Amino acid sequence: MTNIFVQGGVVAVIGICTVFVVLAILWGTLELMRVFFTKAEKKAKEPTPVAAPAATPVPAAPVPVASEEEELIAVLTAAVAACLGQPASRFNIKNYRRVDGGAPVWNRTARRDNLIG
Amino acid sequence: MSLLLDGITSFISNTGLSKIFTPSADAALVFAGVDFGTIIMLVVACFLIYLAIGKQFEPLLLLPISFGMLLANLPLSNLMHNVLFVGSGEEHFVMDFGEILHNGGLLDLLYLGVKLGIYPSLIFLGIGAMTDFSPLIANPKSLLLGAAAQLGVFVAFFGALFLGFSIYEAMAIGIIGGADGPTAILVTKTLAPKLLPAIAIAAYSYMALIPIIQPPIMKALTTKKERLVKMEQLRPVSRIERLVFPIVVTVVVALIVPDAVPLVGCLMLGNLIKESGVADRLSKTAQNELMNIVTIFLGVTVGATASADTFLQPETLFIVVLGLIAFSISTAGGLMLGKLMYVLTKGKVNPLIGAAGVSAVPMAARVAQTVGQKEDPSNFLLMHAMGPNVAGVIGSAVAAGVFLALAKVL
Repeated sequence: MTNIFVQGGVVAVIGICTVFVVLAILWGTLELMRVFFTKAEKKAKEPTPVAAPAATPVPAAPVPVASEEEELIAVLTAAVAACLGQPASRFNIKNYRRVDGGAPVWNRTARRDNLIG
Repeated sequence: MSLLLDGITSFISNTGLSKIFTPSADAALVFAGVDFGTIIMLVVACFLIYLAIGKQFEPLLLLPISFGMLLANLPLSNLMHNVLFVGSGEEHFVMDFGEILHNGGLLDLLYLGVKLGIYPSLIFLGIGAMTDFSPLIANPKSLLLGAAAQLGVFVAFFGALFLGFSIYEAMAIGIIGGADGPTAILVTKTLAPKLLPAIAIAAYSYMALIPIIQPPIMKALTTKKERLVKMEQLRPVSRIERLVFPIVVTVVVALIVPDAVPLVGCLMLGNLIKESGVADRLSKTAQNELMNIVTIFLGVTVGATASADTFLQPETLFIVVLGLIAFSISTAGGLMLGKLMYVLTKGKVNPLIGAAGVSAVPMAARVAQTVGQKEDPSNFLLMHAMGPNVAGVIGSAVAAGVFLALAKVL
């Protein structure tokens, strides 16, 4: 009867130690990965300094009311981040203006529909 | 005329009703010539169907499980023959696949997927394709919280030994504390197939009850000050890290605990398919169609193993109690390490995220978020809790691998 508890003790000790060791090794590996890839990324980024895109072809730019300003900047930042495929922390929107190229609204609609179609 | 009567008599003797009122000698719980075992099992199955539909307890699994239980317990339905898989009390029973294929019913054939360990691994493939490991990669120390939350596995294992279960059965019962259905099923079908229905039902019911079981333990073990901690925002994780992560985890786990590879390997394959971004169709299939198909097969067949003679035993009650203890201690284990991290990082870690180390994704993480937000509505712990939560999945798979490996040498 005691034998089964000794066996049980061994199983429990080996079990919990293995779980901790495996996950701790993974922790160490992930930390190494972070250091390695952050360095590699920095190196890759250094030759091309990140420029803050001043204006992007985002069609919606209504006259901002003070309370809507932040929301608009957030939307623009998200749109730019999505276009560039970079995290939003890489750039700041400092200035924006509407670019509609002076084309009439029907021309723009036709162009957009062709792009989608 | 007598031919007609004979026909009617033999038809009646072949109905389920006659089976209930004239049970065979080996039927469970026969009383006054009535097979109450079957009647009780049908009532239990209907109760579980009610819990699944009425109370929405993990309905995706509990519904097939309970209906499988109903199907298998209908007298003379011949859909499932447990004896083909677990024998009738022999010391060293070996499954005869030829006999299963020749004489098995529909559910016997589907059950082969459980017995051969196919369904749990395929479910892990789907879970991998659904899971975003970024919170874990961004905060890798949450892996330790996932490990600490496996404490309940080993405590319940000891508890089961004290209650007189064999060492293999104790391992299967302990793994309920991992809060991971497929893992529990994989271990149980290998080590203690007779306990499969009780363990599967206990595991899935407790997972559904996490929002009720965990919060009191979380509140009891943490102070208000700890619960109010707001954690720093997680760093963004690059694509390359998300791609390398599944490969690294598979290799590391395979080198140390090869028996955990069917689970962890499939989990990481699913994740790599998703993160690669080049196999969208495979990712969608793994997340939806494949996962749903396997869930139906797994649920129905696991439920079908619940026959009166194996399920209506005092052991089932012990398993239910031990499962609850395992869940609670796993939660406490995660919380205690969370508290240690709180002290070591001088208050930067909210210990509540430790409770999410029990795997049940994403329920446990949501509970951590809810409890944290009750103290401070502006505190968002969800993403921080997802780290330990997915680490718990890896942790419980590793614990299962250790059990399976040790069971071979004991």
